[in-house]
Amino acid sequence: MTTLLLATLFLPLFPSSMVFNWISTRLNFPYARSLLILIWPQIGILIIGQSAQQVLPGFIVWAFASALFYALRLLTVRELGLWASFIASSGLALTWTIAGTASIPDMQLFAFWFSLPAALLALLAAPLAKRFGAAFAGLSGDLTSCVPRLSAILAITILAAIATPPSPGFFSLLGLVNKLDWAIAAGILLIWLLWGWAATKLIQGFLTGEDNKQGATDISRTAVVLYACLMCIFIFSGFIFNGGML
Amino acid sequence: MKSALGGRLRIRAMVHVAGEAIPYFWPMRTFIHHNPLYGLEHLTFAEAVAEGSRLFHGNGYLPRANYQQFMADRKIDEAALSSQIAQFLSTQPEIGGLDSHQLLQTLATRISQPLSCQQVNDNADNIHALLNGKPMPQAKADAGALTARLDADMPKSRPIYASVDEIYGTDIGNTLNELVVKSCLDFFDEGQSVWQMPGRDQGLFQAWSALSQHNLRLFIRGLNIKKILSADNTPEGVIQHVMHELGVPEELWTDYFTHELTRLHGWTGFIRWRSNAKNYFWNRNYPADLVDYLAIRLVLGLALLNEHAQNMGTPATFGALQQLYRDQPEITYLRREFNHRQVLPEMAHAVEDAILSESKARISRLLPRYLEHKQAQQAKQGAERIRELASSAGLLDAVTRLQSDSLKQLLETIKRFEQAEGQMWLHAQEARYMSQLFENLELGEPAPRDKRPFAQIMFCIDVRSERIRRHLEKVGDYQTYGIAGFFGIPVGFIGIEKGSETQLCPVVATPKNLVLELDIAQNPDEQALTSVLEHVFHDLKASILSPFITVEAIGLLFGLDMFGKSLAPVTYGRWRQQLHPERTTSRLLLDKLSREQADSIIRSLQRALIVKAIGRELGIEREAITDEMIRELRETALEGLGGPTAFAKHFKLSEKAEQKFLDRLKQVYRIDHGYAQIQLERLGRIGFTLDEQVHFVSTSLRSIGLTDGFSRFVVLAGHGSKSENNPYESALDCGACGGNHGIINARVLAQIANKPAVRERLRQQGINIADDTWFVPGFHNTTSDELRLYDLDMLPPSHLVYVERLNNGLQAASRLCAAERIATLEDHGIEKRPAKAYRQAQRNSMDWSQVRPEWGLSRNAAFIIGRRKISDQLNLDGRVFLHSYDYSCDPKGRLLENILSGPLVVGQWINMEHYFSTVDNTHYGSGSKVYHNVAGRFGVMTGNLSDLRTGLPSQTVLRQGDPYHEPMRLLTIIEAPVAHARHAIENIVKVKNLVHNGWVRMAILDPEDQNIYVFQDGKWQLHSDLADVNNLNMEKVTS
Repeated sequence: MTTLLLATLFLPLFPSSMVFNWISTRLNFPYARSLLILIWPQIGILIIGQSAQQVLPGFIVWAFASALFYALRLLTVRELGLWASFIASSGLALTWTIAGTASIPDMQLFAFWFSLPAALLALLAAPLAKRFGAAFAGLSGDLTSCVPRLSAILAITILAAIATPPSPGFFSLLGLVNKLDWAIAAGILLIWLLWGWAATKLIQGFLTGEDNKQGATDISRTAVVLYACLMCIFIFSGFIFNGGML
Repeated sequence: MKSALGGRLRIRAMVHVAGEAIPYFWPMRTFIHHNPLYGLEHLTFAEAVAEGSRLFHGNGYLPRANYQQFMADRKIDEAALSSQIAQFLSTQPEIGGLDSHQLLQTLATRISQPLSCQQVNDNADNIHALLNGKPMPQAKADAGALTARLDADMPKSRPIYASVDEIYGTDIGNTLNELVVKSCLDFFDEGQSVWQMPGRDQGLFQAWSALSQHNLRLFIRGLNIKKILSADNTPEGVIQHVMHELGVPEELWTDYFTHELTRLHGWTGFIRWRSNAKNYFWNRNYPADLVDYLAIRLVLGLALLNEHAQNMGTPATFGALQQLYRDQPEITYLRREFNHRQVLPEMAHAVEDAILSESKARISRLLPRYLEHKQAQQAKQGAERIRELASSAGLLDAVTRLQSDSLKQLLETIKRFEQAEGQMWLHAQEARYMSQLFENLELGEPAPRDKRPFAQIMFCIDVRSERIRRHLEKVGDYQTYGIAGFFGIPVGFIGIEKGSETQLCPVVATPKNLVLELDIAQNPDEQALTSVLEHVFHDLKASILSPFITVEAIGLLFGLDMFGKSLAPVTYGRWRQQLHPERTTSRLLLDKLSREQADSIIRSLQRALIVKAIGRELGIEREAITDEMIRELRETALEGLGGPTAFAKHFKLSEKAEQKFLDRLKQVYRIDHGYAQIQLERLGRIGFTLDEQVHFVSTSLRSIGLTDGFSRFVVLAGHGSKSENNPYESALDCGACGGNHGIINARVLAQIANKPAVRERLRQQGINIADDTWFVPGFHNTTSDELRLYDLDMLPPSHLVYVERLNNGLQAASRLCAAERIATLEDHGIEKRPAKAYRQAQRNSMDWSQVRPEWGLSRNAAFIIGRRKISDQLNLDGRVFLHSYDYSCDPKGRLLENILSGPLVVGQWINMEHYFSTVDNTHYGSGSKVYHNVAGRFGVMTGNLSDLRTGLPSQTVLRQGDPYHEPMRLLTIIEAPVAHARHAIENIVKVKNLVHNGWVRMAILDPEDQNIYVFQDGKWQLHSDLADVNNLNMEKVTS
């Protein structure tokens, strides 16, 4: 049981997740923050794998409540780095719902589908902060007109983070809803809805509204190509591993 | 409950005054170009721009970067700009031996973004410290200073919810606008909606209050408007009640109302215009005024404020707001910084957390840190900007050496300079255009002609006529004239099958005479079928049920329409036009009717109505009754005679049935004396007396100096535009005809001028129209450049042989004009072959996806009142209004006064509309056409709910986001002796004010001493002297 409780620190469940979020927001280097989002939950899954104790049904309810809590919290968050941490906390918490039935590699994949877009979002906070002082939605609106490339990348990554098709998160979540008891499944759909709402608010805060920036430069084409390639690999990996393309 | 009359009248007066700054907005069916700052024309141009910025939040000048681009394109006179800067500096204090002129000239011409702002000016000491590498003084979080800042940033007279929104980040203002716009759309609808708002005949406020008390949506939102409305049942009383509830001091009410009204100034302008248009059908039936509108705004505003106060604890009264500034300045300041998007981005998250926690201690800890950071950042930015400026000007050492006080003074000077800079750029831009134009004008007397021209063609003064006039004069022996497009005849016109009157004259005039159009070759059956089909399709489109039941059956037809319009607009358009063949055989009723004729017309109308009534009410066909029966029925209905009529006897109607039918004749078909009298009075407006006809023709011809040497053809070319899917179509029509096509006025004048009796009287007045002269009406379609002649069937046989030559000439000019114009519409600007360009222009007029069928009056810049010879050798590039005028035909200056008071004022409105739509298309223009939706059939909105968009769309004045129209005040040039012209200007108060307040730039070209005088700096000055002063200043600066 202690091992499992320790795992909740890494595969974050509230309130242990506060540690993950605290570290994430205190890390000033975007790459470090991204790595944290990618690696931290994998440690949690490895700990679960080491545990002799079976994951109790209570953990599923706990995971669901934790995911719901962070989904609700997302609605009021405007700082992109924090938003990335919270969406990761909400999505990764759902990994617990398959902990009793899925293998460790499957769990790792499931967590990865939610970690990667969140990690990319954490990375994107850097160019935004560099250009506008902070990656804070609603402060510098209408990014589409001054930094269209960065806006496009940002919008696509946010959509991937909330498991919008064809991102792998979508197929994972679909599979999850299919497997679970109807009440929990309905709850997960509610969480999904909240993510959508929060993402809409975030995208709206960055991409629309009044333009009050002067002379911001867009990200390079090379960066766009890199991001696009990464997203394509990510999506195709999802087709392969989740959709059984191979 | 009803408030006292005195109080109600006081409110009315306040609202009237509060709304005066807001210009009228006319329905877009007849788009009227107007000055968006018309209500501020009593101020000087610069003052009005500043006031406009306060009221409408619009910029009055282009951004500096645009002017710098103009300068690079040699559209700005650098010497004039330098002279303006020198003039500005002569009113400013000296700054520690610094070359301020060099610094400001550099700032204006080489730094693209404005430097001064409150933050920079407040940080002079810090900037000084940074420039000299010293540490900055510590920032203090002084509560008193914060309160003062909040007070200054949020004026007391603006709506309370605006301040609440700014502090708390609520959205009351937008929600209120949304609710008000919805109410307005319901009430003001002119037939676009299938279901009408009930009770509209009671007036806007009464209809709205009756309906809104049962509005479920308002109830669900928790808006308790019932309670507010119960305070009084008059709009004035409700306004008074709300203002007392809000606790706004009474001395601020008028200003408060102005701020409320300007928040949706498009709707306000429309309601202002409508309430004053006493003959406007919709206003007569569904009255509304600004008091109604304001009452609705205030009621909803108060309800929203109360709702937010209840749910979020925001202040709902003036007193509570002031107390908030006094008692909680720290958190209020931070809240405003955060919600008004002024927060330091890097501290945004910390500020948000502190605000949400509402912890005093936390805020007290954060605020000094925040202020320090903010001050440091602003000082750093300010110092960087100053350093950049000083380096560019080569004055870095001098600026760094300045004492703190001198630097403060410099920042203040820069601030004042940047406030006045727009006017300086404008001046320099106008100076360049003025010099270029004056240089090329021909000042001498015209050479006498040895023979009369083949044809004389009168065009509207519109800038678009300049191009076609120039080409016509080149392709053949044509003499052209410019005259206001209504040809000096204000006409009320009722066309065939039209039930209402269209006023064809400038909106500043009201026509006394009515002209009827009569069809002489109609095919009623064919027309009825087309008309019925059109009605059916329209109803199907408008109905909410039809998509469910008819889409499979007739949806394909709409699809065909869409493909036709999209893929082959020209061919499809021509095919559709065949369904509505233009009537070429109508006649205009121009002569006054005698009493007998009028009586006879009324009798015959009544008889026709009786025949219709018998058919409709009793199902009896016309062939079953005789004229005698109709006569007897008419007299019985009119005189109330007793006894059974022959009609009743013949059709065996009972006494009761007969009486019922007679009552129907009186009540429904209006066969009674009272109505006949009204009809008689209306008939009295039809036509012109011979005296009037002679007067109008004589004045028109004299005003353009055409009193002899008449050609065989005198073509009167009215103009208009034709385009598809374009709510702004009438903006491209003739402004002098009230935003309508000018062909009717052309036909009226031509028909009158061809009458022998009129010519005889004109001869007696010294206007000798040759016997073989024939006035022919024509129409210039400015979108396709087609020039088409009308009423050719009335042409004398002797002229027919010359028509081919006339048409050839006109067509050649049209094609050349199209070639020149189409090049300006395309990005690469390469001129096409005339025939190809002409086809392209025709396609533009039929293509429903074309957002810019033509540039319209964009780039208008000047207005020349004088003989054609002064400009006939120039390519004026379609930028100049040309009004022909020969001062020798106008010894008393009356004709010139007419031109100044009518066409010039209309020209100034057009010019100002284009000016302001260009400098700030968001606030004074109407944004992009792409997002426009037609509202209520009288205006357009952006998206599905917005203010009514006034002004011109971006596609009319901007090209790829940059100004295509070069915004300048209208340069008016009068060719006349200086005393003669000045006398006319001074005689018309309106024009005098426009000149003295700088709304138009006025110049007089004196043909006698061959000098050009310009009104500048409050006096008339020789243009050559002005240019010398500029050059002298420039030399001084350079040396």
